[in-house]
Amino acid sequence: MPALFSEGFLLGLSTGFYCLASCLPLLAPYLMAEGKAAWKFNFYIFLQFLGGRFAAYMLFALLASLAGKAGQYALPSWLLPASMAGCGGLMAFLAVSRVSVKGGPCFLKKDLNPWFSRLPLVLGFVTGINICPPFAAGFIRLLELADVPKGFAYFGGFFAATSLFISPVLLGTPWLGRRANEIGRLTLLIAGLWYLALGLSGLFK
Amino acid sequence: METTAKPEQRAAPAALFAALVFIPVFFFSAAIAGREISRLYALAWALFSGGIAYAIAFTGSVSGPRRIFFSVSALAFLVHFKLSLLGKALAPSCFTDTPFCHIAMAPYFLNYLYQQYLALMSGGWKLWGPLTLGGAWLFVTLAIGRAWCSWACFYGGIDDGLSALPRRPLLRLGNWALRLRDLPAALLIFFMLVSLAYMLPVFCLWLCPFKLTGSFLDGQGWHKTAQYALMYAALAALVIAPLLTKKRIFCSYLCPFAAWQAFWGRLNPFRVTADPALCTGCLKCTQACPMTAISCAPGGKAEVSAYCNLCGQCLEACPGAGFRYTLFGLELPRAAGFFRELFAVKYLYVFSALTLGAAFSSLWAPAALRDLVKLLGF
Repeated sequence: MPALFSEGFLLGLSTGFYCLASCLPLLAPYLMAEGKAAWKFNFYIFLQFLGGRFAAYMLFALLASLAGKAGQYALPSWLLPASMAGCGGLMAFLAVSRVSVKGGPCFLKKDLNPWFSRLPLVLGFVTGINICPPFAAGFIRLLELADVPKGFAYFGGFFAATSLFISPVLLGTPWLGRRANEIGRLTLLIAGLWYLALGLSGLFK
Repeated sequence: METTAKPEQRAAPAALFAALVFIPVFFFSAAIAGREISRLYALAWALFSGGIAYAIAFTGSVSGPRRIFFSVSALAFLVHFKLSLLGKALAPSCFTDTPFCHIAMAPYFLNYLYQQYLALMSGGWKLWGPLTLGGAWLFVTLAIGRAWCSWACFYGGIDDGLSALPRRPLLRLGNWALRLRDLPAALLIFFMLVSLAYMLPVFCLWLCPFKLTGSFLDGQGWHKTAQYALMYAALAALVIAPLLTKKRIFCSYLCPFAAWQAFWGRLNPFRVTADPALCTGCLKCTQACPMTAISCAPGGKAEVSAYCNLCGQCLEACPGAGFRYTLFGLELPRAAGFFRELFAVKYLYVFSALTLGAAFSSLWAPAALRDLVKLLGF
Protein backbone atom coordinates (compact mmCIF):
# COMPACT_ATOMS: atom_id res chain seq x y z
CA MET A 1 0.00 0.00 0.00
CA PRO A 2 2.77 2.54 0.85
CA ALA A 3 4.35 1.66 -2.49
CA LEU A 4 1.13 2.57 -4.27
CA PHE A 5 0.84 5.80 -2.28
CA SER A 6 4.41 6.64 -3.35
CA GLU A 7 3.62 5.77 -6.96
CA GLY A 8 0.63 8.12 -6.94
CA PHE A 9 2.68 10.77 -5.16
CA LEU A 10 5.43 10.53 -7.79
CA LEU A 11 2.87 10.77 -10.59
CA GLY A 12 1.51 13.89 -8.90
CA LEU A 13 5.00 15.37 -8.50
CA SER A 14 5.95 14.74 -12.11
CA THR A 15 2.73 15.99 -13.65
CA GLY A 16 1.65 18.47 -11.00
CA PHE A 17 2.46 21.52 -13.10
CA TYR A 18 -0.23 20.56 -15.60
CA CYS A 19 -2.62 19.93 -12.76
CA LEU A 20 -1.85 23.43 -11.50
CA ALA A 21 -2.56 24.85 -14.93
CA SER A 22 -5.98 23.21 -14.94
CA CYS A 23 -6.96 24.13 -11.38
CA LEU A 24 -5.50 27.64 -11.19
CA PRO A 25 -8.07 29.38 -13.44
CA LEU A 26 -10.74 28.08 -11.06
CA LEU A 27 -9.16 28.46 -7.65
CA ALA A 28 -7.28 31.75 -8.10
CA PRO A 29 -10.32 33.89 -9.06
CA TYR A 30 -12.35 32.29 -6.27
CA LEU A 31 -9.71 33.03 -3.64
CA MET A 32 -9.33 36.52 -5.02
CA ALA A 33 -13.07 37.07 -4.91
CA GLU A 34 -13.71 35.69 -1.44
CA GLY A 35 -10.37 36.04 0.33
CA LYS A 36 -9.62 38.61 3.01
CA ALA A 37 -6.50 40.33 4.21
CA ALA A 38 -6.24 37.59 6.85
CA TRP A 39 -4.09 34.64 6.01
CA LYS A 40 -5.97 32.28 8.33
CA PHE A 41 -9.30 32.98 6.65
CA ASN A 42 -7.85 32.34 3.21
CA PHE A 43 -6.16 29.18 4.44
CA TYR A 44 -9.52 27.98 5.72
CA ILE A 45 -11.04 28.54 2.27
CA PHE A 46 -8.10 26.69 0.76
CA LEU A 47 -8.54 23.77 3.15
CA GLN A 48 -12.22 23.54 2.29
CA PHE A 49 -11.34 23.60 -1.38
CA LEU A 50 -8.84 20.79 -0.84
CA GLY A 51 -11.45 18.89 1.14
CA GLY A 52 -13.88 19.04 -1.77
CA ARG A 53 -11.15 18.04 -4.16
CA PHE A 54 -10.12 15.15 -1.96
CA ALA A 55 -13.73 13.91 -1.84
CA ALA A 56 -13.90 14.05 -5.65
CA TYR A 57 -10.59 12.17 -5.97
CA MET A 58 -11.72 9.45 -3.61
CA LEU A 59 -15.03 9.15 -5.42
CA PHE A 60 -13.15 8.69 -8.67
CA ALA A 61 -10.80 6.21 -7.06
CA LEU A 62 -13.83 4.22 -5.97
CA LEU A 63 -15.57 4.41 -9.34
CA ALA A 64 -12.43 3.63 -11.33
CA SER A 65 -11.58 0.66 -9.13
CA LEU A 66 -15.13 -0.68 -9.46
CA ALA A 67 -15.04 -0.07 -13.22
CA GLY A 68 -11.73 -1.90 -13.40
CA LYS A 69 -13.21 -4.80 -11.48
CA ALA A 70 -16.12 -4.89 -13.92
CA GLY A 71 -13.74 -4.86 -16.87
CA GLN A 72 -14.85 -1.42 -18.06
CA TYR A 73 -11.63 0.24 -19.24
CA ALA A 74 -12.78 3.41 -20.97
CA LEU A 75 -13.98 6.72 -19.62
CA PRO A 76 -17.34 7.85 -21.09
CA SER A 77 -16.69 10.55 -23.68
CA TRP A 78 -19.20 12.97 -22.14
CA LEU A 79 -17.51 12.94 -18.74
CA LEU A 80 -14.79 15.50 -19.39
CA PRO A 81 -16.98 18.15 -21.10
CA ALA A 82 -19.79 17.56 -18.59
CA SER A 83 -17.46 18.08 -15.63
CA MET A 84 -16.04 21.18 -17.26
CA ALA A 85 -19.51 22.61 -17.97
CA GLY A 86 -20.61 21.82 -14.41
CA CYS A 87 -17.58 23.57 -13.00
CA GLY A 88 -18.00 26.61 -15.27
CA GLY A 89 -21.72 26.80 -14.55
CA LEU A 90 -21.12 26.85 -10.83
CA MET A 91 -18.51 29.59 -11.10
CA ALA A 92 -20.68 31.75 -13.34
CA PHE A 93 -23.68 31.18 -11.07
CA LEU A 94 -21.65 32.22 -8.05
CA ALA A 95 -20.50 35.40 -9.74
CA VAL A 96 -23.86 36.35 -11.26
CA SER A 97 -25.85 35.62 -8.12
CA ARG A 98 -23.84 38.34 -6.45
CA VAL A 99 -24.86 41.06 -8.87
CA SER A 100 -25.38 44.27 -6.99
CA VAL A 101 -28.74 45.95 -7.28
CA LYS A 102 -27.42 49.28 -6.03
CA GLY A 103 -24.85 51.54 -7.62
CA GLY A 104 -21.19 51.09 -6.85
CA PRO A 105 -17.76 50.76 -8.36
CA CYS A 106 -18.37 47.15 -9.41
CA PHE A 107 -21.56 45.48 -10.53
CA LEU A 108 -20.65 42.28 -8.68
CA LYS A 109 -20.22 43.70 -5.21
CA LYS A 110 -23.01 42.28 -3.08
CA ASP A 111 -21.85 40.83 0.23
CA LEU A 112 -21.54 37.10 0.57
CA ASN A 113 -24.81 35.30 1.16
CA PRO A 114 -24.57 32.68 3.97
CA TRP A 115 -25.80 30.18 1.42
CA PHE A 116 -22.40 30.38 -0.22
CA SER A 117 -20.39 29.61 2.91
CA ARG A 118 -19.82 26.00 1.85
CA LEU A 119 -18.95 26.89 -1.72
CA PRO A 120 -15.19 26.27 -1.50
CA LEU A 121 -16.02 22.65 -0.69
CA VAL A 122 -18.35 22.39 -3.69
CA LEU A 123 -15.92 24.21 -5.93
CA GLY A 124 -13.13 21.88 -4.83
CA PHE A 125 -15.35 18.93 -5.64
CA VAL A 126 -16.25 20.12 -9.14
CA THR A 127 -12.60 20.98 -9.75
CA GLY A 128 -11.72 17.48 -8.64
CA ILE A 129 -14.10 15.92 -11.14
CA ASN A 130 -12.82 18.30 -13.85
CA ILE A 131 -10.52 15.76 -15.43
CA CYS A 132 -7.10 17.01 -16.49
CA PRO A 133 -4.40 14.96 -18.32
CA PRO A 134 -2.48 13.92 -15.16
CA PHE A 135 -5.75 12.93 -13.56
CA ALA A 136 -6.64 10.80 -16.59
CA ALA A 137 -3.23 9.10 -16.38
CA GLY A 138 -3.86 8.20 -12.75
CA PHE A 139 -7.36 7.11 -13.58
CA ILE A 140 -6.14 4.56 -16.11
CA ARG A 141 -3.75 3.12 -13.53
CA LEU A 142 -6.71 2.73 -11.19
CA LEU A 143 -8.67 0.83 -13.82
CA GLU A 144 -5.70 -1.47 -14.11
CA LEU A 145 -5.39 -1.95 -10.33
CA ALA A 146 -9.12 -2.72 -9.97
CA ASP A 147 -8.89 -2.70 -6.17
CA VAL A 148 -10.70 -0.15 -4.02
CA PRO A 149 -8.23 0.19 -1.05
CA LYS A 150 -5.28 0.24 -3.45
CA GLY A 151 -7.09 2.84 -5.52
CA PHE A 152 -7.58 5.03 -2.44
CA ALA A 153 -3.87 4.75 -1.56
CA TYR A 154 -2.79 5.55 -5.11
CA PHE A 155 -5.08 8.55 -5.53
CA GLY A 156 -4.32 9.70 -1.98
CA GLY A 157 -0.67 10.02 -2.97
CA PHE A 158 -1.61 11.71 -6.20
CA PHE A 159 -3.82 14.18 -4.35
CA ALA A 160 -1.11 14.99 -1.79
CA ALA A 161 1.49 15.76 -4.46
CA THR A 162 -0.76 17.83 -6.71
CA SER A 163 -1.95 19.84 -3.69
CA LEU A 164 1.64 20.96 -3.16
CA PHE A 165 1.58 22.60 -6.59
CA ILE A 166 -1.66 24.43 -5.87
CA SER A 167 -0.66 25.76 -2.45
CA PRO A 168 1.50 28.73 -3.68
CA VAL A 169 -1.75 30.41 -4.74
CA LEU A 170 -2.14 31.39 -1.08
CA LEU A 171 1.00 33.51 -1.11
CA GLY A 172 -0.58 36.62 -2.60
CA THR A 173 -3.82 36.51 -0.66
CA PRO A 174 -2.83 38.43 2.52
CA TRP A 175 -2.80 41.58 0.38
CA LEU A 176 -6.34 41.14 -0.84
CA GLY A 177 -8.63 44.10 -0.35
CA ARG A 178 -12.13 45.10 -1.33
CA ARG A 179 -11.02 46.17 -4.80
CA ALA A 180 -9.20 42.87 -5.40
CA ASN A 181 -12.35 41.02 -4.32
CA GLU A 182 -14.35 42.89 -6.93
CA ILE A 183 -11.82 42.14 -9.65
CA GLY A 184 -11.79 38.50 -8.51
CA ARG A 185 -15.56 38.29 -8.89
CA LEU A 186 -15.40 39.61 -12.42
CA THR A 187 -12.63 37.12 -13.19
CA LEU A 188 -14.74 34.35 -11.70
CA LEU A 189 -17.61 35.30 -14.00
CA ILE A 190 -15.41 35.38 -17.12
CA ALA A 191 -13.66 32.10 -16.24
CA GLY A 192 -16.99 30.45 -15.43
CA LEU A 193 -18.51 31.46 -18.75
CA TRP A 194 -15.39 30.29 -20.55
CA TYR A 195 -15.46 26.81 -19.01
CA LEU A 196 -19.21 26.57 -19.43
CA ALA A 197 -18.92 27.37 -23.16
CA LEU A 198 -16.05 24.93 -23.64
CA GLY A 199 -17.86 22.19 -21.74
CA LEU A 200 -21.15 22.66 -23.59
CA SER A 201 -19.37 22.74 -26.94
CA GLY A 202 -17.71 19.43 -26.05
CA LEU A 203 -21.03 17.90 -25.03
CA PHE A 204 -22.87 18.87 -28.20
CA LYS A 205 -20.05 18.30 -30.65
CA MET B 1 5.00 77.43 -21.02
CA GLU B 2 2.95 80.01 -19.16
CA THR B 3 0.31 81.11 -21.64
CA THR B 4 0.28 84.53 -19.96
CA ALA B 5 3.74 85.18 -21.42
CA LYS B 6 3.96 87.04 -24.77
CA PRO B 7 4.36 84.90 -27.92
CA GLU B 8 7.92 86.15 -28.51
CA GLN B 9 8.82 85.19 -24.94
CA ARG B 10 7.40 81.73 -25.44
CA ALA B 11 9.01 81.07 -28.81
CA ALA B 12 12.63 80.68 -27.70
CA PRO B 13 12.05 78.19 -24.86
CA ALA B 14 9.62 76.32 -27.11
CA ALA B 15 12.25 76.10 -29.85
CA LEU B 16 14.81 74.83 -27.35
CA PHE B 17 12.36 72.23 -26.12
CA ALA B 18 11.61 71.16 -29.70
CA ALA B 19 15.34 70.79 -30.38
CA LEU B 20 15.76 68.71 -27.23
CA VAL B 21 13.11 66.32 -28.52
CA PHE B 22 14.22 66.39 -32.16
CA ILE B 23 17.84 65.36 -31.57
CA PRO B 24 17.28 62.00 -29.79
CA VAL B 25 14.28 61.16 -31.97
CA PHE B 26 16.32 61.74 -35.14
CA PHE B 27 19.20 59.72 -33.72
CA PHE B 28 17.01 56.69 -32.95
CA SER B 29 14.81 57.07 -36.00
CA ALA B 30 17.81 57.22 -38.33
CA ALA B 31 19.36 54.23 -36.59
CA ILE B 32 16.18 52.15 -36.80
CA ALA B 33 14.61 53.14 -40.13
CA GLY B 34 17.86 54.20 -41.79
CA ARG B 35 18.98 50.59 -42.04
CA GLU B 36 16.65 49.98 -44.97
CA ILE B 37 15.18 53.26 -46.19
CA SER B 38 16.44 56.78 -46.75
CA ARG B 39 17.27 58.75 -43.63
CA LEU B 40 15.16 61.57 -45.05
CA TYR B 41 12.06 59.73 -43.87
CA ALA B 42 13.56 59.46 -40.39
CA LEU B 43 14.33 63.17 -40.55
CA ALA B 44 10.73 63.94 -41.51
CA TRP B 45 9.46 61.90 -38.56
CA ALA B 46 11.87 63.59 -36.16
CA LEU B 47 10.84 67.01 -37.48
CA PHE B 48 7.20 66.12 -36.94
CA SER B 49 7.96 65.04 -33.37
CA GLY B 50 9.95 68.21 -32.79
CA GLY B 51 7.01 70.21 -34.15
CA ILE B 52 4.70 68.53 -31.64
CA ALA B 53 7.13 69.41 -28.85
CA TYR B 54 7.17 73.01 -30.06
CA ALA B 55 3.36 73.16 -30.13
CA ILE B 56 3.14 71.80 -26.58
CA ALA B 57 5.73 74.22 -25.22
CA PHE B 58 4.37 77.21 -27.11
CA THR B 59 0.71 76.72 -26.27
CA GLY B 60 1.18 75.11 -22.86
CA SER B 61 -1.42 72.54 -23.86
CA VAL B 62 -0.38 68.87 -23.71
CA SER B 63 -3.49 66.98 -24.73
CA GLY B 64 -4.20 68.52 -28.16
CA PRO B 65 -0.75 68.16 -29.78
CA ARG B 66 -0.29 64.83 -27.99
CA ARG B 67 -3.48 63.53 -29.57
CA ILE B 68 -2.29 64.56 -33.03
CA PHE B 69 1.07 62.84 -32.52
CA PHE B 70 -0.54 59.73 -31.06
CA SER B 71 -3.15 59.39 -33.81
CA VAL B 72 -0.65 59.99 -36.61
CA SER B 73 1.61 57.31 -35.15
CA ALA B 74 -1.27 54.82 -34.99
CA LEU B 75 -2.39 55.70 -38.53
CA ALA B 76 1.16 55.17 -39.75
CA PHE B 77 1.11 51.75 -38.10
CA LEU B 78 -2.11 50.88 -39.93
CA VAL B 79 -0.77 52.16 -43.23
CA HIS B 80 2.49 50.30 -43.00
CA PHE B 81 1.47 46.99 -41.48
CA LYS B 82 -2.22 46.44 -41.91
CA LEU B 83 -3.37 48.05 -45.15
CA SER B 84 -0.57 46.28 -46.96
CA LEU B 85 -2.18 43.00 -45.98
CA LEU B 86 -5.36 43.91 -47.87
CA GLY B 87 -3.64 44.52 -51.19
CA LYS B 88 -0.33 45.04 -52.88
CA ALA B 89 -0.81 48.78 -53.31
CA LEU B 90 0.83 49.48 -49.98
CA ALA B 91 3.29 46.64 -49.81
CA PRO B 92 5.54 47.14 -46.80
CA SER B 93 8.79 48.61 -47.84
CA CYS B 94 11.12 47.30 -45.21
CA PHE B 95 9.65 45.74 -42.08
CA THR B 96 7.55 42.81 -43.17
CA ASP B 97 6.50 41.66 -39.70
CA THR B 98 4.67 43.59 -37.05
CA PRO B 99 6.80 44.41 -34.02
CA PHE B 100 6.26 42.03 -31.14
CA CYS B 101 2.97 43.14 -29.67
CA HIS B 102 3.21 44.63 -26.19
CA ILE B 103 -0.43 43.80 -25.47
CA ALA B 104 0.24 40.06 -25.79
CA MET B 105 3.07 40.38 -23.29
CA ALA B 106 0.84 40.97 -20.25
CA PRO B 107 -1.69 38.13 -20.65
CA TYR B 108 1.11 35.77 -21.66
CA PHE B 109 3.32 36.65 -18.70
CA LEU B 110 3.01 33.33 -16.82
CA ASN B 111 3.85 31.46 -20.01
CA TYR B 112 7.01 33.56 -20.39
CA LEU B 113 7.96 32.71 -16.83
CA TYR B 114 7.43 29.03 -17.53
CA GLN B 115 9.40 29.32 -20.76
CA GLN B 116 12.30 30.96 -18.92
CA TYR B 117 12.17 28.20 -16.32
CA LEU B 118 12.45 25.61 -19.11
CA ALA B 119 15.26 27.59 -20.75
CA LEU B 120 17.13 27.70 -17.45
CA MET B 121 16.69 24.00 -16.83
CA SER B 122 17.62 22.93 -20.35
CA GLY B 123 20.35 25.46 -21.07
CA GLY B 124 18.42 26.54 -24.18
CA TRP B 125 19.72 30.10 -24.14
CA LYS B 126 18.03 30.93 -27.44
CA LEU B 127 14.77 30.81 -25.53
CA TRP B 128 15.83 33.81 -23.49
CA GLY B 129 14.33 36.23 -26.02
CA PRO B 130 11.42 37.27 -23.79
CA LEU B 131 13.94 38.58 -21.27
CA THR B 132 14.94 41.23 -23.82
CA LEU B 133 11.29 42.14 -24.20
CA GLY B 134 10.94 42.20 -20.42
CA GLY B 135 13.96 44.49 -20.14
CA ALA B 136 12.50 46.85 -22.75
CA TRP B 137 9.18 46.88 -20.94
CA LEU B 138 10.87 47.65 -17.61
CA PHE B 139 12.74 50.56 -19.19
CA VAL B 140 9.53 51.94 -20.71
CA THR B 141 7.67 51.54 -17.43
CA LEU B 142 10.35 53.32 -15.45
CA ALA B 143 10.56 56.10 -18.05
CA ILE B 144 6.90 56.83 -18.75
CA GLY B 145 4.79 54.26 -16.88
CA ARG B 146 1.13 54.45 -17.80
CA ALA B 147 1.77 57.19 -20.32
CA TRP B 148 2.60 54.39 -22.75
CA CYS B 149 -1.15 54.14 -23.33
CA SER B 150 -1.45 57.80 -24.30
CA TRP B 151 1.75 58.30 -26.33
CA ALA B 152 3.06 55.08 -27.85
CA CYS B 153 0.49 52.29 -28.14
CA PHE B 154 -0.74 51.82 -31.71
CA TYR B 155 -4.12 50.53 -30.51
CA GLY B 156 -4.55 53.49 -28.21
CA GLY B 157 -3.82 55.99 -30.96
CA ILE B 158 -6.81 54.75 -32.94
CA ASP B 159 -9.11 54.74 -29.93
CA ASP B 160 -7.92 58.14 -28.76
CA GLY B 161 -8.10 59.80 -32.18
CA LEU B 162 -11.60 58.51 -32.86
CA SER B 163 -12.86 59.51 -29.41
CA ALA B 164 -11.88 63.10 -30.22
CA LEU B 165 -13.96 63.29 -33.41
CA PRO B 166 -17.54 63.70 -32.13
CA ARG B 167 -18.47 67.02 -30.60
CA ARG B 168 -20.53 65.39 -27.88
CA PRO B 169 -21.27 61.77 -26.90
CA LEU B 170 -24.25 60.15 -28.61
CA LEU B 171 -24.30 57.48 -25.95
CA ARG B 172 -23.72 58.02 -22.24
CA LEU B 173 -22.53 55.07 -20.17
CA GLY B 174 -23.74 56.48 -16.85
CA ASN B 175 -22.90 54.47 -13.74
CA TRP B 176 -21.89 51.45 -15.79
CA ALA B 177 -18.75 53.24 -16.89
CA LEU B 178 -17.37 53.04 -13.33
CA ARG B 179 -18.97 49.73 -12.44
CA LEU B 180 -17.22 47.92 -15.27
CA ARG B 181 -13.96 49.83 -14.91
CA ASP B 182 -12.12 46.85 -13.39
CA LEU B 183 -13.04 44.57 -16.28
CA PRO B 184 -9.57 44.82 -17.93
CA ALA B 185 -7.94 43.73 -14.67
CA ALA B 186 -10.28 40.74 -14.53
CA LEU B 187 -9.59 39.97 -18.19
CA LEU B 188 -5.87 40.22 -17.56
CA ILE B 189 -5.97 37.70 -14.71
CA PHE B 190 -8.24 35.41 -16.70
CA PHE B 191 -6.03 35.53 -19.79
CA MET B 192 -2.88 34.95 -17.74
CA LEU B 193 -4.39 31.85 -16.14
CA VAL B 194 -5.97 30.28 -19.22
CA SER B 195 -2.97 31.07 -21.41
CA LEU B 196 -0.90 29.10 -18.93
CA ALA B 197 -3.46 26.33 -18.72
CA TYR B 198 -3.69 25.88 -22.50
CA MET B 199 -0.15 27.03 -23.36
CA LEU B 200 -1.71 29.30 -25.98
CA PRO B 201 -1.85 33.09 -26.47
CA VAL B 202 -5.56 33.16 -25.65
CA PHE B 203 -5.92 36.94 -25.98
CA CYS B 204 -4.47 36.88 -29.51
CA LEU B 205 -6.72 33.98 -30.46
CA TRP B 206 -9.96 35.28 -29.01
CA LEU B 207 -9.99 39.03 -28.59
CA CYS B 208 -7.29 40.83 -30.55
CA PRO B 209 -8.99 43.27 -32.96
CA PHE B 210 -5.90 43.52 -35.17
CA LYS B 211 -5.93 39.94 -36.41
CA LEU B 212 -8.08 41.01 -39.35
CA THR B 213 -6.16 38.84 -41.69
CA GLY B 214 -7.54 35.57 -40.33
CA SER B 215 -4.30 34.39 -38.80
CA PHE B 216 -4.40 33.49 -35.10
CA LEU B 217 -7.69 31.67 -35.49
CA ASP B 218 -8.61 28.10 -34.72
CA GLY B 219 -9.22 25.99 -37.79
CA GLN B 220 -12.75 24.73 -37.55
CA GLY B 221 -16.12 24.70 -35.89
CA TRP B 222 -17.77 27.01 -33.45
CA HIS B 223 -14.40 28.09 -32.02
CA LYS B 224 -13.61 29.88 -35.25
CA THR B 225 -17.08 31.45 -35.41
CA ALA B 226 -16.82 32.60 -31.79
CA GLN B 227 -13.33 33.95 -32.36
CA TYR B 228 -14.54 35.95 -35.36
CA ALA B 229 -17.51 37.26 -33.37
CA LEU B 230 -15.30 38.37 -30.48
CA MET B 231 -12.76 39.90 -32.85
CA TYR B 232 -15.47 42.00 -34.48
CA ALA B 233 -16.81 42.96 -31.06
CA ALA B 234 -13.32 44.10 -30.03
CA LEU B 235 -12.94 45.93 -33.33
CA ALA B 236 -16.25 47.70 -32.71
CA ALA B 237 -15.01 48.65 -29.24
CA LEU B 238 -11.87 50.06 -30.82
CA VAL B 239 -13.43 51.90 -33.76
CA ILE B 240 -17.18 52.48 -33.34
CA ALA B 241 -17.62 52.81 -29.57
CA PRO B 242 -15.27 55.84 -29.23
CA LEU B 243 -17.29 57.62 -31.91
CA LEU B 244 -20.48 57.02 -29.94
CA THR B 245 -19.24 57.68 -26.43
CA LYS B 246 -16.20 59.96 -26.75
CA LYS B 247 -14.45 57.44 -24.50
CA ARG B 248 -11.59 55.05 -25.24
CA ILE B 249 -13.72 51.95 -24.85
CA PHE B 250 -11.26 49.29 -25.99
CA CYS B 251 -8.45 50.71 -23.85
CA SER B 252 -10.70 51.26 -20.83
CA TYR B 253 -12.66 48.02 -20.79
CA LEU B 254 -10.92 45.34 -22.85
CA CYS B 255 -7.18 45.94 -22.99
CA PRO B 256 -5.29 43.66 -20.59
CA PHE B 257 -2.09 45.64 -21.07
CA ALA B 258 -3.82 48.80 -19.81
CA ALA B 259 -4.61 46.97 -16.56
CA TRP B 260 -1.08 45.58 -16.40
CA GLN B 261 0.42 49.00 -16.92
CA ALA B 262 -1.99 50.57 -14.42
CA PHE B 263 -0.57 48.19 -11.83
CA TRP B 264 3.13 48.43 -12.69
CA GLY B 265 2.93 52.07 -13.76
CA ARG B 266 3.07 53.00 -10.08
CA LEU B 267 6.83 52.45 -10.37
CA ASN B 268 7.00 55.53 -12.55
CA PRO B 269 7.05 58.87 -10.70
CA PHE B 270 4.85 60.89 -13.09
CA ARG B 271 1.33 61.53 -11.88
CA VAL B 272 -1.69 63.68 -12.65
CA THR B 273 -2.70 65.10 -9.29
CA ALA B 274 -5.99 66.76 -8.41
CA ASP B 275 -5.90 69.61 -5.91
CA PRO B 276 -8.97 69.22 -3.63
CA ALA B 277 -8.78 72.88 -2.65
CA LEU B 278 -9.38 73.93 -6.25
CA CYS B 279 -12.08 71.35 -7.00
CA THR B 280 -15.63 72.69 -7.16
CA GLY B 281 -17.15 69.28 -7.94
CA CYS B 282 -18.37 70.38 -11.37
CA LEU B 283 -17.44 66.93 -12.82
CA LYS B 284 -16.17 68.41 -16.09
CA CYS B 285 -12.99 66.38 -15.62
CA THR B 286 -14.92 63.10 -15.40
CA GLN B 287 -16.73 63.94 -18.64
CA ALA B 288 -13.49 64.91 -20.35
CA CYS B 289 -11.45 61.91 -19.20
CA PRO B 290 -11.47 59.43 -22.12
CA MET B 291 -10.31 56.59 -19.85
CA THR B 292 -13.00 56.90 -17.15
CA ALA B 293 -10.15 57.25 -14.69
CA ILE B 294 -11.57 60.09 -12.62
CA SER B 295 -14.32 59.51 -10.11
CA CYS B 296 -16.03 61.59 -7.50
CA ALA B 297 -14.52 60.82 -4.09
CA PRO B 298 -16.47 61.15 -0.84
CA GLY B 299 -16.79 64.86 -0.24
CA GLY B 300 -17.49 65.60 -3.88
CA LYS B 301 -13.87 66.04 -4.93
CA ALA B 302 -12.25 64.58 -8.02
CA GLU B 303 -10.13 61.48 -7.49
CA VAL B 304 -7.67 60.20 -10.11
CA SER B 305 -7.43 56.41 -10.27
CA ALA B 306 -4.52 54.17 -11.24
CA TYR B 307 -6.06 53.80 -14.70
CA CYS B 308 -5.09 57.40 -15.55
CA ASN B 309 -2.66 57.42 -18.47
CA LEU B 310 -1.67 61.08 -18.10
CA CYS B 311 -3.18 62.21 -21.40
CA GLY B 312 -3.81 65.72 -20.04
CA GLN B 313 -7.47 66.08 -21.02
CA CYS B 314 -8.51 66.89 -17.45
CA LEU B 315 -5.89 69.64 -17.14
CA GLU B 316 -7.64 71.57 -19.87
CA ALA B 317 -11.19 70.64 -18.92
CA CYS B 318 -10.95 71.83 -15.31
CA PRO B 319 -12.18 75.43 -15.05
CA GLY B 320 -10.33 75.93 -11.78
CA ALA B 321 -6.97 74.58 -13.05
CA GLY B 322 -7.16 71.95 -10.33
CA PHE B 323 -5.04 69.31 -12.08
CA ARG B 324 -1.30 69.30 -12.65
CA TYR B 325 1.54 66.96 -13.52
CA THR B 326 3.61 65.97 -10.50
CA LEU B 327 6.35 63.59 -9.40
CA PHE B 328 4.70 61.27 -6.87
CA GLY B 329 2.35 64.17 -6.05
CA LEU B 330 5.16 66.72 -5.63
CA GLU B 331 6.29 69.57 -7.86
CA LEU B 332 9.83 70.63 -8.68
CA PRO B 333 11.17 73.75 -6.95
CA ARG B 334 10.79 76.89 -9.06
CA ALA B 335 13.88 77.63 -11.15
CA ALA B 336 15.14 81.03 -12.22
CA GLY B 337 16.33 82.29 -15.61
CA PHE B 338 15.02 82.64 -19.15
CA PHE B 339 14.23 78.94 -19.61
CA ARG B 340 12.82 78.46 -16.11
CA GLU B 341 9.44 77.33 -17.42
CA LEU B 342 11.04 74.28 -18.98
CA PHE B 343 12.14 73.09 -15.54
CA ALA B 344 8.68 71.88 -14.67
CA VAL B 345 7.37 68.35 -14.19
CA LYS B 346 5.09 68.82 -17.18
CA TYR B 347 7.98 69.31 -19.61
CA LEU B 348 10.08 66.61 -18.02
CA TYR B 349 7.15 64.26 -18.54
CA VAL B 350 6.41 65.40 -22.10
CA PHE B 351 10.08 65.04 -23.02
CA SER B 352 10.19 61.43 -21.72
CA ALA B 353 6.89 60.39 -23.26
CA LEU B 354 7.26 62.12 -26.62
CA THR B 355 10.87 61.06 -27.16
CA LEU B 356 10.14 57.45 -26.24
CA GLY B 357 6.89 57.35 -28.22
CA ALA B 358 8.53 58.83 -31.30
CA ALA B 359 11.56 56.53 -31.07
CA PHE B 360 9.29 53.49 -30.75
CA SER B 361 7.14 54.69 -33.67
CA SER B 362 10.30 54.83 -35.78
CA LEU B 363 9.74 51.12 -36.30
CA TRP B 364 6.95 51.99 -38.74
CA ALA B 365 6.26 55.74 -39.09
CA PRO B 366 9.14 56.64 -41.49
CA ALA B 367 8.41 53.51 -43.52
CA ALA B 368 4.72 54.41 -43.68
CA LEU B 369 5.69 57.82 -45.02
CA ARG B 370 7.72 56.11 -47.71
CA ASP B 371 4.75 53.86 -48.54
CA LEU B 372 2.60 56.94 -49.07
CA VAL B 373 5.24 58.63 -51.19
CA LYS B 374 5.46 55.51 -53.34
CA LEU B 375 1.69 55.32 -53.59
CA LEU B 376 1.55 58.90 -54.85
CA GLY B 377 3.94 57.84 -57.59
CA PHE B 378 7.11 59.66 -56.59
